[in-house]
Amino acid sequence: MNEPKPPATETTPRGLALCHQLLTDPQAPVRHAIAGRPAGGWMLTLLGLLGFALYGAAAGMFQGGTQIALAAAKAPGIAALTLLLCCPSLYIFGALAGARWTPATFRIVAAGLLATLGFLLGGLLPIAWLFSSSSRYLGTVVWIHVLLWIVALALAYRFLSSALRELGARGGAFLWLCLFLIVSFQVTTLLRPVLWRPEGAPLHRFGEKKSFFENLGEAFKVEPAAKVKPAKAAPPTLPLAGASAPRNPKSR
Amino acid sequence: MPKSGIFHLLRQGGEPLLDEILAGRGLKVIAGRLALGMTLGAALYGAVFGSWHGPRLAFYVAVKFPLVLFLTTALTLLFSWIAARFLGLPLRLAQAAVLTLLALTVASLVLAALAPVAGLFVWCSPRPTPDARTAHNVLYLMHTFLVGTAGFAGTRALRRALSRLDVPKGTVRAAYAIWIFAFALVGGEVAWALRPFVGSVYAPVSFLRERPLDGNVYEFIVTDVLPHLGRNLDRAID
Repeated sequence: MNEPKPPATETTPRGLALCHQLLTDPQAPVRHAIAGRPAGGWMLTLLGLLGFALYGAAAGMFQGGTQIALAAAKAPGIAALTLLLCCPSLYIFGALAGARWTPATFRIVAAGLLATLGFLLGGLLPIAWLFSSSSRYLGTVVWIHVLLWIVALALAYRFLSSALRELGARGGAFLWLCLFLIVSFQVTTLLRPVLWRPEGAPLHRFGEKKSFFENLGEAFKVEPAAKVKPAKAAPPTLPLAGASAPRNPKSR
Repeated sequence: MPKSGIFHLLRQGGEPLLDEILAGRGLKVIAGRLALGMTLGAALYGAVFGSWHGPRLAFYVAVKFPLVLFLTTALTLLFSWIAARFLGLPLRLAQAAVLTLLALTVASLVLAALAPVAGLFVWCSPRPTPDARTAHNVLYLMHTFLVGTAGFAGTRALRRALSRLDVPKGTVRAAYAIWIFAFALVGGEVAWALRPFVGSVYAPVSFLRERPLDGNVYEFIVTDVLPHLGRNLDRAID
């Protein structure tokens, strides 16, 4: 059942073939880079950013309207900025663990990780859409996305640890991914609002400093949401306790 | 043509069928027959599931229950397959789809076998009036337990199939856990969107609620079920 590994002389795949290679032989680009052959780093980067953009669009459906485009634009930005900020630590952590980095292998590991995450988020797209469309509370979708993001990172761990192993490192991947996770939360806070924006609120809040803990807590803050549609009456015996956090305007 | 009907699934613990699926032989035929078996089993249990409110809801649930399984499969399949591939399981998308169908078919067969038992409890319950909220809750718990048990039986078949692949046990465990996690997370929400199943003691019978995608099941548990239980517990303690 194991699929054959591509021959060493194989050219860099593109488009769908690249997606197929990510699934069947994720370490192939790293091996190409080690051998000094073109490994498709740009294609991997673009593929990853596309996956993030699509996932962002699905996440933006919580509020709908312009927020879909805004979230689709911000999600790749979050991924790219997080990766950029974590690149020095990836290099140092990997080197300390024994990785023999070259500029090409470093670029391809970073791009491969981005592509892997983007591809996994692409697979999670229908699930993200379902919960974005049906959830009433911002707190719920925030935690759903956090959960799905952790699942994607857990699966991407395999790619990163194998890539580092190919380069001669022993360990380092788990610690770095934990750092990556925390930085991604803070970058999301920096680029807020992503999922929900009150009417008339600015598209970004770069000037306002806030930690991600505070931002996560605010998802559940007791504060009436902008009313777009009249509220649906609760069933007689089913009072909505804790219904004061921002709600999906579509459901009102 | 592979012998891949329901009887083939029950014969020799389903081993010949697993061989065919993992070898990638006759997947379309197997998928068709499994889908048919799953639909029939789930529809039979669905009819019992909805029968508390009479034949109309029984019919609706007989249609909706297989739909829940198909929709959940459709929403989770891509991720399950990608996750399996990333973990190193040598499965094609079609094989992942057939393995999911296999697990659901086993679960549906178990449910169909439990239908007479569930039917007995439904038949013995008081009529659905606003005073029968306790009966409603008991029936809800019973169906949840039976569906959960059947689902567990179904996933054992999936686990057995994955264990036959030439990969480390840890990888199989991880893939199995991810498939179950995705299916449970999404299945709960899809079932919530397609409610009612048991039927409300306050609202009239309908195929779907007025706004099926208004709110999700996890919000309902946190904002409604848990506070309601808490209040009842407080009252009991006082």
